[in-house]
Amino acid sequence: MPALVAGLTTALLLTGCAADAFDAPPTAEPIEGGTLVYATGDAEPTCLDPHVGGNYPQALISTQYLEPLVGRSPDGEILPWLATTWQASEDGLTWDLTLRDDVTFTDGTPFDAEAVKANIEHLKDPDTGSSTGWLAVQQIDTVEVVDATHVRFHLSTPKSALMEVLSQQWAAMQSPAGIARGKDENCLAPVGTGPFIVESWTPQDRVVLVRNDEYVPTNPQGHDGPAHVERVEWRFIPDAATRQAALASGEVHVIDNPLPADIAAWEGADQQHIDAPRPAASNRIELNSGQAPFDDVRVREAFIRAADPNPGIASLFHGTAERSYSVLSSVEPMRLSDESVFATDPERAAELLDEAGWTDEDGDGVREKDGAPLTVRFPVSTNQSTAAEQSLFEQIQANTGAVGFDVQLEPMDLSSWYGALAAHEYEAVSAPYTTVGPDVLRILYHSDGTIPAPSGYFANNAQLKDPELDALLESALATTDPAERADIYTQAQRIILDSYTVLPLYDQQNHFLTKGVTGVEPLTTISTPLLLNAQLLG
Amino acid sequence: MRGRSARAIPPWRTALRWVLARVGGALLVVWLVATIVFFALRSSGDPLEAILGGPGSQAGPEAVEAARREYGLDQPLVVQYLLQLWRVATLQLGDSYARRQPVADLIAEQLPGTLLLAALALAAAWALAVTGAIVSTSARGRIGAIVNATLRGIEIVATVMPGFWLGAVLILVFATSLGWFPATSQGSHPAGLVLPVLTLAVPIAGFLAQVSRDALLEADAAPFAVTARARGAGEPRVLLRHTLRHASLPALALSGWAFGNLLSGAVVVEVLFARPGLGRLLQDGALSRDVPLVIGAVTVVAVLYVAVVVLTDVVELFVDPRLRGPRPAALRAPDVAVGS
Repeated sequence: MPALVAGLTTALLLTGCAADAFDAPPTAEPIEGGTLVYATGDAEPTCLDPHVGGNYPQALISTQYLEPLVGRSPDGEILPWLATTWQASEDGLTWDLTLRDDVTFTDGTPFDAEAVKANIEHLKDPDTGSSTGWLAVQQIDTVEVVDATHVRFHLSTPKSALMEVLSQQWAAMQSPAGIARGKDENCLAPVGTGPFIVESWTPQDRVVLVRNDEYVPTNPQGHDGPAHVERVEWRFIPDAATRQAALASGEVHVIDNPLPADIAAWEGADQQHIDAPRPAASNRIELNSGQAPFDDVRVREAFIRAADPNPGIASLFHGTAERSYSVLSSVEPMRLSDESVFATDPERAAELLDEAGWTDEDGDGVREKDGAPLTVRFPVSTNQSTAAEQSLFEQIQANTGAVGFDVQLEPMDLSSWYGALAAHEYEAVSAPYTTVGPDVLRILYHSDGTIPAPSGYFANNAQLKDPELDALLESALATTDPAERADIYTQAQRIILDSYTVLPLYDQQNHFLTKGVTGVEPLTTISTPLLLNAQLLG
Repeated sequence: MRGRSARAIPPWRTALRWVLARVGGALLVVWLVATIVFFALRSSGDPLEAILGGPGSQAGPEAVEAARREYGLDQPLVVQYLLQLWRVATLQLGDSYARRQPVADLIAEQLPGTLLLAALALAAAWALAVTGAIVSTSARGRIGAIVNATLRGIEIVATVMPGFWLGAVLILVFATSLGWFPATSQGSHPAGLVLPVLTLAVPIAGFLAQVSRDALLEADAAPFAVTARARGAGEPRVLLRHTLRHASLPALALSGWAFGNLLSGAVVVEVLFARPGLGRLLQDGALSRDVPLVIGAVTVVAVLYVAVVVLTDVVELFVDPRLRGPRPAALRAPDVAVGS
């Protein structure tokens, strides 16, 4: 009996405790100050400095405390940010940039040409271990400090995409004094010019950011002053259902990676939905044209004619994803989209396979040729492919199975997945690539992309080695005339689409749900959420 | 009682042999664990990726070479294995590949949270199990049979319930729909601990309840219990003074295993409820092939597990005096009363 009373009392106390943690109904008036809580479902970064490594979780959080040299408008136009003007020489090997003179890092170090030089050198330094940022500045040989507000880049080969890749978070500007503290310390709290400052990092729990009260409004998307909220708590909640529950109960204000079903269910009902497709490439399935069976263009076309992803996309993504017929994202102005290349036609697929010599002699539903079955190994990264996407792949497996393909889906963790790709143990794969600008086509489809990095990684999963395409992509990099670039990229995309090595699915999905907060918007460079203009409601 | 064996063994030597056997066993377990983890991680992926900031790294050749030299990865695998063993033996857990921080610090940071969860879950499982056992023996007659059958069913379901399913359902019902408890938590705020502890405790409780009830029923029907009732002892006295100690023995013996189960269940619960802890650390480390971190964490878990098993053995000695005398196993028949 006493135990029962004690139990009831405890339960009552606990519910009282729990109720205090939740918000009172909001009054929908934006206020100044407060703590905004952001819950991310992406992996926790191992280093808060995006120069080290360079993945999307680092970009997400560093958007709040680091700023790049330039921004980008929704039309793809480069906008001034920390750099005000930029000019390439005739031969494209020298770039002159003018920098702002009124910006200081939050540790007091002035932002000047010396700082830019220190940052570029940090990116190029092997000890930093930079991946994405290193690729961006790979062509920069030396950085010359002309004076405090003028810096000059000397390139080894022309790179018209230089400003686009410098707009990425992975090449953002940090304080040279901060970098000089050494990697261990700089990973815990990088020093930048952004609207927030890293205060503390509790591993596996949260990163706490505080407002930079001396913020100089340089962000082309910013308002005229420092951030509205006083503190940002950046929490790591890996499970999607838990994240959604935390948002619904008011424990957090913004979440990323919501499930499509949750977006459809909650949109409009006191939660706001932000749809910010990532730039550069779309989400595609690539067919390995470097080995059988997809070294035969007829077999590739057959696969594409039979795949029919549209019904799957419509049902699995609850209308949150739109089918794409382009290798470039819908936010890239120079994209070429051609629906006719990807028309579904299972009869034509069967014809093509018959023509190519693949027939089903033993009647097991899988075609063979010279004794070998029409097997398509499809490694799936469970880290990068959402549950909906994995189900989509299963539908494609069934659709292509109807014409005789034996698609073997192999879900695996990220490390094993990269291992399978490096060992060429795949016929089909979906590998997202995040960067800025149409130069991603060169990274993904130039024959140089088939040469593995020391880790074994290569980006050209389609194994395209087309000299005409190579020449086009190289000339696009060499010309700074926008009209000419657009024309060259159109021709290049034409070749890529017609090669039937790529099956575009949809834009790289990047959705956010917010509740109890307003003013959260995606950065137009890499579509990460910017909290500079955010205000809590009520 | 006279008539001991002719060769009198001093008690301290028995104790010493017992302690040495335990320590030896613990060392064996730790060595096995370190070896299995090392080869499992190394055979399934390249640790260089973890060092260079994640899989699929596009770091340049100089960065890769620098990392290879710094971490001794250019040496033969056997040499690396022996070096790792040496480090574990001298308690140098090293630095995490991915986070560049000392493994010992990382583990020390996260261990208390997991231990709190595990301890509370074990206590909750015990409470649930003993309550269930008492209820089923108290109910008599036809109602008793129905109660017994229902409890048995509940116990079986509880035992096989997957942690991630139970946790997700609890979040859905109690956090999202009813709003009684928060979906995420950290530290020791009571409201935040209820759902994670319950998720961990229920499967263990099911198992402990089954063995406790069987033992209690057996003890309740034993001659000494009948005698006690005949002498006029009421039910509570029979329970507390006599039968409950018998019922707790199998559950106690299983507690060591249960603790190990809890530590592995903590991985699921910590990820689900976004709680910082050793389980999450292990999961991140394993997925990114962070060899020093995983070896360090699994070694700590192994040592803890062995320690808990030893502790339960000691507690059993206290609870069951039959074990303290000579020929303990032969005396451990159910009809010989404890403490009578």
